Amino acid sequence: MSGLLNWVLWFPVIGMIAVLCVPGTKVQTIRYVTLVTTAITFLLTLVLYASFDTEVGGMQPHLSFKMPWISQFHINYSLGIDGISLPMIILTGLLFLICTLSSWTVEKNVKAYFALMLMLQSSVFGVFMALDFFLFYVYWEVMLLPMFFLIGIWGGENREYAAIKFFLYTFFGSIIMLVGIIALYYATGKGEDSFNILALQGGQFTEMTIHLFGTDWSFERLFFWAMFLGFAIKVPVFPFHTWLPHAHVQAPTAVSVILAGVLLKMGTYGFLRIAFPIFPSAAVEYAHVLAILGCISVIYGAFCAMAQNDVKKLIAYSSVSHMGFVMLGMSAMTTQGMNGAVLQMFNHGTSTAMMFLMVGVLYERSHHRWIVKPDGTKGYGGLYTHMPKYSIIFIIGMFASLGLPGLSGFISEALIFLGIFNKFTTITVIAVLGLLVGAAYLLWMFKRMFFGEVSDEVKEYDDMNKREIGYMIPLCVAVIFFGIYPMPVLNIMRASVGELLTLLAKYN
Amino acid sequence: MILNLFSNLSFYIPEVLVIITMCSLLFIESSYGPAEKERKLVFIAATIGLVLAFVSLMFNLGEESKLIFANAVVIDKFSTLLKMIMVLGTLGVVYLSKSSLDIYRGLKSEFLIMVMGVLVGGMLLASANNLLTVYLGIETLSILSYVLTSFKRHEATSTEAGIKYALYGGISAGVMLFGMSHIYGLLGTIQFAEMLPAFAKVQEAGQQWLMMASFIMFFVGIGYKIACVPFHMWSPDVYQGSPIPVTTFFSIVPKMAGIAVLVRVSLLFFGESQSAVEIGWFGLIQIIAALTMSVGNISAIGQDSMKRLLAYSSIGHVGMMLLGVLTLNTVGPKIIVFYGINYLFMTLVAFYITSAVSDKFGSDSQASFKGLVTKNPFMAILMSISLFSLAGLPPFSGFIAKFNMLAAVVDAKYYGLAFVAAVNSVISLYYYVKVVKVMIFSKAEMEGPIDTFRFSNQALIALCTLPVIILGLFWDKLMLLSEGAKIFIQQ
Repeated sequence: MSGLLNWVLWFPVIGMIAVLCVPGTKVQTIRYVTLVTTAITFLLTLVLYASFDTEVGGMQPHLSFKMPWISQFHINYSLGIDGISLPMIILTGLLFLICTLSSWTVEKNVKAYFALMLMLQSSVFGVFMALDFFLFYVYWEVMLLPMFFLIGIWGGENREYAAIKFFLYTFFGSIIMLVGIIALYYATGKGEDSFNILALQGGQFTEMTIHLFGTDWSFERLFFWAMFLGFAIKVPVFPFHTWLPHAHVQAPTAVSVILAGVLLKMGTYGFLRIAFPIFPSAAVEYAHVLAILGCISVIYGAFCAMAQNDVKKLIAYSSVSHMGFVMLGMSAMTTQGMNGAVLQMFNHGTSTAMMFLMVGVLYERSHHRWIVKPDGTKGYGGLYTHMPKYSIIFIIGMFASLGLPGLSGFISEALIFLGIFNKFTTITVIAVLGLLVGAAYLLWMFKRMFFGEVSDEVKEYDDMNKREIGYMIPLCVAVIFFGIYPMPVLNIMRASVGELLTLLAKYN
Repeated sequence: MILNLFSNLSFYIPEVLVIITMCSLLFIESSYGPAEKERKLVFIAATIGLVLAFVSLMFNLGEESKLIFANAVVIDKFSTLLKMIMVLGTLGVVYLSKSSLDIYRGLKSEFLIMVMGVLVGGMLLASANNLLTVYLGIETLSILSYVLTSFKRHEATSTEAGIKYALYGGISAGVMLFGMSHIYGLLGTIQFAEMLPAFAKVQEAGQQWLMMASFIMFFVGIGYKIACVPFHMWSPDVYQGSPIPVTTFFSIVPKMAGIAVLVRVSLLFFGESQSAVEIGWFGLIQIIAALTMSVGNISAIGQDSMKRLLAYSSIGHVGMMLLGVLTLNTVGPKIIVFYGINYLFMTLVAFYITSAVSDKFGSDSQASFKGLVTKNPFMAILMSISLFSLAGLPPFSGFIAKFNMLAAVVDAKYYGLAFVAAVNSVISLYYYVKVVKVMIFSKAEMEGPIDTFRFSNQALIALCTLPVIILGLFWDKLMLLSEGAKIFIQQ
């Protein structure tokens, strides 16, 4: 079984090589090769789910894989999954499959596009599976390359600016993280486990100090913030979110979906896997800072979303807002809060993917994304009467984002608020207002786009075709199913989240 | 005595081989006519000479460290490894010059002869063990470099660069010689090995600040060779004015040689003692390293000429290598060699492709790189790999070079410098990515395929890119090799 993770990790790479071997003119073959690859990869992630033991809190022993890589530095090729990473891995598998289907209409340089997508998928898996800090960092950075090209080549008008901004911003965060990784390596005495993420956990750096600029600093606090920077830029937490609207708006639909659905979760996953367990006392000490930043993200993201006339930008800002909830849940450090945060990571992955895909479907018909055009005229209007199928799926996605009871967003947000209320009451009260603003901007957007008179432009749009409906259905099912019965996901994560909380509780 | 010196020659085979190659090139050159075909012989001779030199260096690697020529020259693993980098770099340049149109307009093979001469100077510098040898090495290196710079004698920029280089070089060599004479006056010896005991006496006499001043003057000469701030002003102009093979050569061989001297001097004088001068010296290097990185990388941002951009980027990389000097007692020499090897391949690839593109369009501005991916996707990808590697992105070798350098700096507790280095690599990513953007996202402006990418060229470039990728993933063997980079200290 220990080879299974390797298969999941490397299968997209095999697919990428296959895609590269197909001549560039055989576009349809390339699409099918990618589809088969992502489908098999998704099935493999389901096999992971089937063989997952929910009773084990730590890494699944029968699934872990370890092999020496750079032996002098004790760097290992070490993979493993637990209840926090498995939902993310399944989500990754699912979203890439769906994105392959939604990218069927990409015409420009199809071969390079799908090859990069598969490379991206492999590196995302790598981030969620790596148990060696060096390996983690390599995957964390390698992921930037395909993203950079995907945004820069297939993006909108302002794609070059967006691609470079995304690249530089993330790189800045991760290079600071790299200094932190190196400092950890020396702090543990360059031993066998210096890059082993699991062995670094447990708060062994609490008492350590380092001498810097003439005074002693707490090692733990200093490098908690170094890691924080790396992950917060990725999430993105206010005030590090400014790259996100550009990257989202300019990226092609499938890349936006991956960006919002999976890549943003890498930031919060980094907190849960690295920043919190390695620096538990600093995490507990600064939980209120994380909560405040999370709360600002929720409110600020929501208000920014309300001001947008570009529907994709609106969804992008709503991501900032929803990832703020994840930060809130994590900073609560209670069972409900933490479970809610991980569940929200999963649920936001499905609901925001729906929203971006729906915007993409519309964009393919209209070639613009304006709710209200810059010259003040109406962009979309009356979609509801003209495109009923589209509207129904859109409604499901929108209400899931909005947190309507019965759909997935509600449960995770409710859990987060339950978890945090006793700890940061004021912050909770303010953040709940964010929920209200969230409902306001989504409904207002819906009203402007779907109701009212059918504009001439809209009359020419076709409703969704079978392929489009086909790839939306799994997401609709997921959003509804996990809204009613979230236990499959909660069961997976329960033991692992419990273990993390036990660790944090020592410093609470 | 004389016999003794001759017997020492057996340890000096690599250098002797290069000198023999240089002389035989002179003969071959004077015996062939202007025909293109006959030039091949020169390249074959140069290649054979360099390969033999490389092989004999490999044999030297297994030997014990020793002092030869009345202690004027030291053969240790550190110098041998750096010499190997220089010889490899020269080999790369020789092949680059073969296809480059920049050089052979109305000229025969003088270029190769000069390059061999500079290489000898660099190799001498890498194993210099007294002040006189250092000066000899630097001058051999410099004088031929002035000629190389102005090789495109019909172009004003090249001539201008040559004059600039010569003026700058003359002044800094003068200052350096002045510093050396001070050192000699204070210590009474030019041998590095005898200096350390004498050094203690100077300190007792309370003259260490005079000493420091003379060392700073000494540093001017080295600083000028490696183009660190504030002695870097000549570098962009010279790089831009020179033919591309010369630029490539300058960004590898003199830099390695200069770093070698700096490392040896720093270790011999300041490695052990805990004196005020030592703190002053390393303080100076810290400031210079931080400035060199920052100035190099920030200045590179606005450059349109690829040669200038790479010149500034190489200044940035020298700044990174200077960080290794700060950690001499622990891992410094090893990391510098490691960095040097990785830097060599990335730089070669970047320059090879720049050369082919600028030969085709007659300009090395970024506009000629526009839409390279549509004309030759393979080369565009390799160039991107090389640039990403220079910026220090995994999984390429530039990343592990930077990683190890940062690790050494963090280990020595220079957290501030580590932060500066980290920020600098973000800045450097910006201008490298801009080139990638131009190559891959922009539409081609210049018409026509780039026929200067011949098959042999492409194969060579691919061959040089291989280490960039392979070393980036599996670097433990290379680390083991660099591990041997010990500096011989005579007791």
